Amino acid sequence: MADATIDPPSELDPGGDRELKRSITGKLLFFYVLGVVLGSGIYVLIGLVAGAVGGAFWIAFAVGVTVATITGLAYAELVTKYPQAAGAALYVHKAFRNHPLTFLITVSMLSASFAAAGSLATGFAAYFKQVWDLPPALLVTLVFIILLAIVNFIGITESVVTNMVMTLVEVAGLVIVMIIGIVYIGQGKADFGILVDFQTKESALLGVIAGVALAFFAMTGFENAANVAEETVDPARTFPRALVGGMIAAGVIYVLVAMVSALTVPIGTLQKSDAALLEVVKAGILPVPVGFMTILFACIAMVAITNTTLVAVVTQSRILYGMSKEDVVPAPFGKIHAARRSPWFALIFAALVVCALLISGWLLNRAGVGVDVVARLATVTVIFTLFIYALVIISALKLRGQDEDDDTFIAPTWLLLIGILGNLVLLGYVLYDDPASLYWVAALLLLGLALFLLEHFFGKRDRPAGRGRGDRIARNEA
Amino acid sequence: MHVIVATDGSKQSLLAAQHLMAFADPARISDVTVVAVIRPLAAVAFADELSDVDHPQTTSEALSFRQAATNALAVIAAEFEGWGPTVHQQILSGSPANEIIKAAEAADAGLVVVAAGSRGLSETVLLGSTAQRVQHYAPCPVLVVRPAPRKRRRPS
Repeated sequence: MADATIDPPSELDPGGDRELKRSITGKLLFFYVLGVVLGSGIYVLIGLVAGAVGGAFWIAFAVGVTVATITGLAYAELVTKYPQAAGAALYVHKAFRNHPLTFLITVSMLSASFAAAGSLATGFAAYFKQVWDLPPALLVTLVFIILLAIVNFIGITESVVTNMVMTLVEVAGLVIVMIIGIVYIGQGKADFGILVDFQTKESALLGVIAGVALAFFAMTGFENAANVAEETVDPARTFPRALVGGMIAAGVIYVLVAMVSALTVPIGTLQKSDAALLEVVKAGILPVPVGFMTILFACIAMVAITNTTLVAVVTQSRILYGMSKEDVVPAPFGKIHAARRSPWFALIFAALVVCALLISGWLLNRAGVGVDVVARLATVTVIFTLFIYALVIISALKLRGQDEDDDTFIAPTWLLLIGILGNLVLLGYVLYDDPASLYWVAALLLLGLALFLLEHFFGKRDRPAGRGRGDRIARNEA
Repeated sequence: MHVIVATDGSKQSLLAAQHLMAFADPARISDVTVVAVIRPLAAVAFADELSDVDHPQTTSEALSFRQAATNALAVIAAEFEGWGPTVHQQILSGSPANEIIKAAEAADAGLVVVAAGSRGLSETVLLGSTAQRVQHYAPCPVLVVRPAPRKRRRPS
């Protein structure tokens, strides 16, 4: 490995990989994307999607996956231009150069991952109940979130090997479901008519859109691949392939699993179940004791959900850390623990926010309002991510012709236009269907605003004299 | 002799570098390689607390851990300027202890200098730190520079 000598001082040529060793290969990135995407939905949400559409709910997954993958193309294009960890905030900033908009996007990213972590934790508790029924679900979710913060603080999951093993476990769970499907079809019991059966409340189209909006949650998380963009080997070539490849692989798995679930379990059962994929296993199609399979499968589902939630927690603390470095949130968020090199304050704060969301949901339920916490927080996540995704695609189009070289991956423009349309249609539908989610959205946005105001009025001491807020940004652009 | 000096961006790692210079004979050292390791999957992949460049790149829009590592390396490397040995800088990526050990093996190093971040409880209770792992598996002697015992904290 070649070194950069001291003269000229500290010039590590950022373009030439000779002096810089990057550790995330295309294969690792593929598994990272697959793992993050797979955990985030199918284990948690499949029952809700089935309930919205009926037997044909695999179509909802197919459409949701397609819209998300098109958005993935825009991310891939932007990552090859700007291989940095900031993701959407950076792209929107480059495209619009508008500080309030950049702040809004950053807070939206933060809020989306708060809501996602809350939804995933609730899903985790549903599977946990299958293994050990005693502790109340709220307690399980809170302990889960706090444990993940601690795990991130210590840094256990930093190993790429751990990440890959968790992804393989996730895939194994869904392979079990597919084997059940093949056996079932082999036994000649499958009634394929169910796959084109719509049991929607309103029109079939609205039902499918409802399903798509929920299924969309299953694909969120892929944008966190930007976390490792900077450490990806040869990002211009690797990133588009690994990101889009991972998403397509996840999409194919989703559609197949949705079909198997529809074939093997009555839609009504799927809809009522908290841990719907377990119903497929419980149908007793494989010649293995159902009790054993149930526990095995519940454990696999918990690994999957944990993997995705861990990445959400990493994203939250990174965003808070980055915002603190930029002086838009108070300085403690930038504090790093001396031995662990972790942003301990950001981790604690993020865990508290997610816990507060979960407790709010629980209190509302106790007060008789009747909130389905999984669905509500998933909807909140989807609102934020649809907004972010649409803006990212617009940014990708707006940044065409800038910072491009021969290696830059360019996504087909017509696909991106369809992507914007798809994201906006879904956003419109979700807002129309569940306007109460807007309270949660507003609460999370206000939290971001509160942190900003706190820093604005009380946080001036840590800024060097004579420098205004945002000056650094201006300098970066030079 | 080739010496590897690791930095995690902490002030303690700067103290470690200074400690080496305080007692070592520069005439006996041919090369110093300053090494920074980025942890891609960590919450903060690299935190630079050394450079007073005011983190020009580590903003939420342009969060660049590579830039943070480059800045921290520059600070440590500047310490060694004019001391004698040829100074190299390396940015690596992965698990810190592994990468430091690999760098030591690749350079056929005669000494590895690392900082131990914490004192007391968190070091014993939490799982092994980078310094401990380097100590166990390095192919050469290791200098672990520990923080001074905690004095009464100054009111800030």
